[in-house]
Amino acid sequence: MTTDISVTSVDESRPAKRRRSRPRLFENRTVLVLALLAPVLTFFIVFNTIPTLWLLGLSFYNYSLTSGMPPDFVGFRNFFAILASKNAIWFDLSRTFTFVLCGVTIQTLLGGMLGFLFWGSKKMPGRRIALTMLFAPMVLTPVATGTFFRFIYDPTFGVLNYIARAGFGAGPIDFLGDPDLAFWSVLAVDCWMWTPFMTLMTLAALGSVPTAELEAAEIDRVPMWRRLPLVIWHHGKFILMLGILLRTIDSFKTLDLIIPMTKGGPGQNTRLVALELNKQAFESFNMGWSSAYAVLLLLISIAMTSVFIFVLNLRRRRESGS
Amino acid sequence: MSRIREVAYYAGLWLIALIFFAPIAWIVMSSFKTRTDILAVPPKFLFSPTLENYEALFSRSEIFVQIGNSILLSLGAVIIAVVVSFLAAFCFSRFRPKGTDFLMFLLLSIRMLPGPAVILPVFLMYVGFGWKDSHLWLMLFYAMFSIPFSVWILKGFLDGVSTRFDETGRVNGGSWAHIIFKVVMPQVRPGLIAAFIFNLIFVWNEYLFNFIIGGVNTQNIPYALMVGTYADGGVAWTFIATMTSLYLVVPVVFIYLFQKYLLVGMTFGTVRGEV
Repeated sequence: MTTDISVTSVDESRPAKRRRSRPRLFENRTVLVLALLAPVLTFFIVFNTIPTLWLLGLSFYNYSLTSGMPPDFVGFRNFFAILASKNAIWFDLSRTFTFVLCGVTIQTLLGGMLGFLFWGSKKMPGRRIALTMLFAPMVLTPVATGTFFRFIYDPTFGVLNYIARAGFGAGPIDFLGDPDLAFWSVLAVDCWMWTPFMTLMTLAALGSVPTAELEAAEIDRVPMWRRLPLVIWHHGKFILMLGILLRTIDSFKTLDLIIPMTKGGPGQNTRLVALELNKQAFESFNMGWSSAYAVLLLLISIAMTSVFIFVLNLRRRRESGS
Repeated sequence: MSRIREVAYYAGLWLIALIFFAPIAWIVMSSFKTRTDILAVPPKFLFSPTLENYEALFSRSEIFVQIGNSILLSLGAVIIAVVVSFLAAFCFSRFRPKGTDFLMFLLLSIRMLPGPAVILPVFLMYVGFGWKDSHLWLMLFYAMFSIPFSVWILKGFLDGVSTRFDETGRVNGGSWAHIIFKVVMPQVRPGLIAAFIFNLIFVWNEYLFNFIIGGVNTQNIPYALMVGTYADGGVAWTFIATMTSLYLVVPVVFIYLFQKYLLVGMTFGTVRGEV
């Protein structure tokens, strides 16, 4: 009786009744595990496993929703068509990787610098509001961001052109229409959105450095440039690496930021893999071809996820080891 | 640090924050301008604010449907996802059934795939079964898409709760339901809040899935923004500015209120702590 009260702490008349009516079924471990997992597995199988298998199957068919023809089995021909074509996946992939590489590098350097700057700001007046303003870009929907940057970039009434004209005397610049500039203009917006994320990660990395070791370095008068590799990097590198990886994976997916700005144009200058797939699948309705393309992207994503998990496990192992 | 250096340092940090916020401030400012003021060359920094854009926006009857859809879809999907994920995360954390690592990997990989690749087969399935443009099915898909994130966050938090609590509960004759919901759940409240907030922001921001497997009935705010860009033979800048300003209140207020969950929310729960 006393044990029951200590657990449930309800009125004394109920525990006895409750004990009898408790379902014995869930006391079995296997049943319990299955019952806990069942909802997730159901969701997963219905909305992910079946569609993915469907995707795999479709990638071997020539199937277009617009032609009205039944799917036609073509084996690996979709894959050959994609991989052999000069203008398909290789072009998009090189664009995408340039985008990812430049974007992540700039964001990491700039974000890292800002992170160091904000490191000692614990007592800053209005810190919470300032941080909210700094982190706001990354929680906005890319659709809205893309749309209002088109407004800011506009060659006639855009505010950026006004600044360029007033400050540097430059003529009207068509940031998004100029084939040489469009890619970098889009990249700049991506950097605006995601530099705060790298700042956040740098702050987290710096926060993971034990204060005792920093104080020890302070007492030993280790100069700042020696402290960085010896103390800070040693503790902070995993979090920073996770940040870079998350950013790489996320930036590889970039789609709805670019649609409102350039739709992949001018020409094909801002056509990243996600945009090309979106266009082929939902504007041209080339389902077979798109499925093959999506399968290739799936492989790349799986590779990137594996690297992420690998780094995560490295960190875990080190944490449990030390 | 001397007093002057301190003031300069904080002023510098504030300046950085303001620079990052400037584009957002500009769009919010534009929403209080008249159409001629928005298109003025050179851009007007001083103007007499007007509410007519907001009046025009709220006189469109579909706006309430769109906001309603946004709220309904995000709340519905996230509540389902968090409940379902909590059970699964508890199972992964406590019983570690065979294949836990593989399942966690699979869950994460969904979120790592470009949107169109995720939605392509789902689109065919939805068209095939006639599930397109239905609130329920769109909500369930969003729930599925929010699950990986929630499971990862919650598992991290549950791993931090000692199994002693479960054992004590068991020894004292508590049922599993009691242990899960009454003993363990209150201890991972921060994880539940983080999962809830960040999935809510995600669904609130989502455009592509709504556009592809949703439709006219289920359109949310980003969808409306995208579709409403062009109107009356030009770009509807007043509409864009007003709608964006209205929409961004939710995410910005959320990151102000829940700033301590920002880190865990942005990293799938793989990095914990506060900034």
